[in-house]
Amino acid sequence: MAMKGRAMAAAAAVHGGYPPTKLHSSLPSPLRIAARIKPNTAPPPISISTNPAHANLHHLKELYAICNHSCQRFPNTDAAGRVEPVDVLKLRTAIAHSSVVVSAFTKPEFLTNQSSTGAEVTSFTGIGGYWITKVAPVTPANGTLIGFGRAVSDLGLTASIYDVTVHPALRRRGIGRMIVQRIVRMLTNRDIYDIAALCSHDQRPFFKACGFGDDTLGSTTMVYTRSPSSYSKDEEMISAGGKLLLVPSPRELTK
Amino acid sequence: MFAHDVVVLPAVLKLYPSTVSLDCRFQAFSPLNFPFGLRRGSRNQKSYRLKAGFWESIRSGILKNNTAQVIEPPSTDEEEEELLPEEFVLAERTKPDGTVEQIMFSSGGDVDVYDLQALCDKVGWPRRPLSKLAAALRNSYIVATLHSISIPAGQEGNGQKKLIGMARATSDHAFNATIWDVVVDPSYQGQGLGKALIEKLIRALLQRDIGNISLFADSQVVEFYRNLGFEPDPEGIKGMFWYPKH
Repeated sequence: MAMKGRAMAAAAAVHGGYPPTKLHSSLPSPLRIAARIKPNTAPPPISISTNPAHANLHHLKELYAICNHSCQRFPNTDAAGRVEPVDVLKLRTAIAHSSVVVSAFTKPEFLTNQSSTGAEVTSFTGIGGYWITKVAPVTPANGTLIGFGRAVSDLGLTASIYDVTVHPALRRRGIGRMIVQRIVRMLTNRDIYDIAALCSHDQRPFFKACGFGDDTLGSTTMVYTRSPSSYSKDEEMISAGGKLLLVPSPRELTK
Repeated sequence: MFAHDVVVLPAVLKLYPSTVSLDCRFQAFSPLNFPFGLRRGSRNQKSYRLKAGFWESIRSGILKNNTAQVIEPPSTDEEEEELLPEEFVLAERTKPDGTVEQIMFSSGGDVDVYDLQALCDKVGWPRRPLSKLAAALRNSYIVATLHSISIPAGQEGNGQKKLIGMARATSDHAFNATIWDVVVDPSYQGQGLGKALIEKLIRALLQRDIGNISLFADSQVVEFYRNLGFEPDPEGIKGMFWYPKH
């Protein structure tokens, strides 16, 4: 409960005073003031769990599918740009070996409310109803999984954050930032301050807003991408999503 | 099924109550393993992790917390056959005075943290707390080392072992791996040893189907990794690092 209140305050501090432009034009001025006080961009009640057992694999697979997120760096995409579904067994292994696993839940009604076309209507009638539903807490048991993030760490020096995803209908409301901040806090509580996150160009502003930046030591991020030059028997290869990677042959040094 | 169950059982039962109360499962393991592994990065921690997964499934079954129980926890069999440590002689040469020097590669992760600290000093890296180094080695997925063994002429098997290279990789065992801390003794550089270290690491990772292998390279070694098949910022993917607020 206390966490929820703090999160609401944080969201209000960031978003307060900047209601979305679509509300501006369609609402009369008293409601515009109400919208300022309770901006539409505040997150719904969120329950965040760091217990890996709460990350239900099936729900997570669905969340990844809705977000079109792949765990592979260079995934296979079909003609419509959709990535292939995640391998659940591999996902289970990955979660079992992640040092930090964060899942975010909300009540199912907040997810469906987003898809209704009358956004202004819900924020008006919702002032009373929203307050009442706000009181009853969300728990991982009764909530829907709408956000996720995990980190892999050696629990001594370094950590890497992977697979931060938030349901598209609930984005730009501070949930992703909550997830990343929880991951960072779990790591810094264990004295790990070297935290890395590999992200694409589009994800950079998000991580910047979470307090990440370019490496102070100016290091270059490099990824193994060597493909086999020929499809001969001599070259061992594995497929990683949409990429074929060459497995280096076991060779002895001759000296 | 679990022949060595009896040995592990008391330790797991001790952990068992803590896994219920703590949020992060892994928090339970470090205090238990710390006394074991300060000097040597031992790999014993793995067995504790596996057994706890087995007990967690039983607990969830009993408590009927069945949100995640359709899929069974990873079987210990498939985990145990994964990381068999490798050790072999990479190169051997005879010095003018008859001493035989062997370069031994090992992925067993048996590293003396004091030796490692000395090696890092030799290449000019800033010092890091020994306990953190030990923990990092213990929890890395693969720790590959190069030792130089000098066998004086005529004495078989009485070699002096010296740590001359190390590389380690952290991983989630399924999708991603990051290579950290690649170091080779300056007097042994330029002979392809670093290349061999990395190639073995990559081979080990790819054979386990871990396809996202990344690392963060200082500017002077970017070319070295490029020659090994790494691409800088492929498709705009960059690493960002957390900046502590004032």
